[in-house]
Amino acid sequence: MSDIAVQVDHVSKKFRLYHERNQSIKSAIMRGRRSVHEDFWALKDVSFEVPTGSTFGLIGSNGSGKSTLLKCLAKIYYPEKGTISYQGRIAALLEVGSGFHPELSGRENVFLNGSILGMSKKEVTGKFDEIVDFSGVEQFIDQPVKNYSSGMYVRLGFAIAINVDPDVLVVDEVLSVGDAEFQEKCSQKFVDFKEAGKTVILVSHSMESVREMCDHAAWLSHGELIQVGKADTTIASYLESLHGGAQL
Amino acid sequence: MRYMNEVLASRELLANLTLREIRGQYKRTIFGQLWSLVNPLATMLVYTIVFAFILRVTPPPGNPSGLNIFAVWLLCGLLPWAFFANVVQQGMGSIISNAGLVQKVYFSRIVLPLSKVGSVGYNWLFEMGVLVVVLALCGSFVWPWIPIVIIVMVLLAIFAAGLSLMLSVANVHFRDTQYFVSILMQIWMYLTPIIYPISLVEDQSKAHGGLFGTSITILDIYRLNPLERFVAVFRQLLYDNTWPNPQDLLLCAIWAFAALTIGLWVFRKSEKGLAEAL
Repeated sequence: MSDIAVQVDHVSKKFRLYHERNQSIKSAIMRGRRSVHEDFWALKDVSFEVPTGSTFGLIGSNGSGKSTLLKCLAKIYYPEKGTISYQGRIAALLEVGSGFHPELSGRENVFLNGSILGMSKKEVTGKFDEIVDFSGVEQFIDQPVKNYSSGMYVRLGFAIAINVDPDVLVVDEVLSVGDAEFQEKCSQKFVDFKEAGKTVILVSHSMESVREMCDHAAWLSHGELIQVGKADTTIASYLESLHGGAQL
Repeated sequence: MRYMNEVLASRELLANLTLREIRGQYKRTIFGQLWSLVNPLATMLVYTIVFAFILRVTPPPGNPSGLNIFAVWLLCGLLPWAFFANVVQQGMGSIISNAGLVQKVYFSRIVLPLSKVGSVGYNWLFEMGVLVVVLALCGSFVWPWIPIVIIVMVLLAIFAAGLSLMLSVANVHFRDTQYFVSILMQIWMYLTPIIYPISLVEDQSKAHGGLFGTSITILDIYRLNPLERFVAVFRQLLYDNTWPNPQDLLLCAIWAFAALTIGLWVFRKSEKGLAEAL
């Protein structure tokens, strides 16, 4: 067991900005096979290491490449250059409740969503009570999820995802779901996670929560890594760059 | 090989997604699973009226079963075709209709088209079960042939899976694919001896002889259609109650595995780019 949970090594990710895209066969044939595009590098040569057991924050303005990096970590996008290596199992929480079927009951959806997130049936069965308990929807677990309120929907989705029990958890800004009580529960879950020696990588715009939860942070701007290190110092220099470091 | 392991590892997900399709499909309907029978029955009724009563198409009676019922003869070809067409069409759209999932969660993407094979196949199994009962009631001694029928059903499922793997990727890049394929499937159906016996094509082929001075006849070209072989094998087993022509059976297997190999190769090559291309 090494102390590096995730190693991001010279990762670059390119998107094509199409001026005239061949989205139909007709246009592909009419124009010859060429489509007109220019390359846009959403990530440029980003390298950092995430120590095992740390909570790692990714900060930066909109369009700085945070979400792209997160999707690369989650193996949804594949970088053009560089590699990302992991220690152990990784789970990504980019959206909650993806793959829920509205007509199926909460119970059926727990099993479905669990297996989409990579849990075996045995694992889901073992954790079923915990999931239902955490989501707080036990009364409605046999109702179709289309009848759930949006809060219940999100809570159930989050409860499943948080129980995947990975070694590395990658989280997009999903912390802002549910009511205050549920947020409290989530924060507690992250603390438990950390105590169990698991690694969390999260993206957030709320500097307050990053400062509170993360011990390390990386600051991205226009696809480039500006600074990486202790959360406090990274946040401070990020805020300073924005407007002299005055506000959150 | 490593890819195969990954696919095997996600078999539980495949089962769950298939169950999602099956359970979700007839939710909130009164007749439930019975609806899966209504479509082929309605088609059968229309074709029987048009082709058996108006156009007077007469397929040869089953040999040696002696069966001579147009509607049953039709169903022996129509049910496999309907399965094939549905798998191809639904499998083709499976990645686009799950775009939200593909862009947010990592999992082996191949389970999406394959789950359609499973859910459509489940309905097909149900329909074939009913057909077997009908055949038995009509006096066909179909029981001993069922194991071979199941093998051929698996082969057809493999063939359909291969095609839908290719088309699902093509459809992500060019949305024209789905419209193009739905026209193609109509033409394909009429190019396959489902509602008329192949003997009619044989007659025409004999009348014309070799094409363009060669010894290739219309029938030779006509029989390149893989579905022609599948339908022939199903009819031989279910309607005629006889051993299928070994050459036909072998060709079915070759078509099936060729389609699957190419489908897997295409899918694997473009799997990583799917989230971006959507």
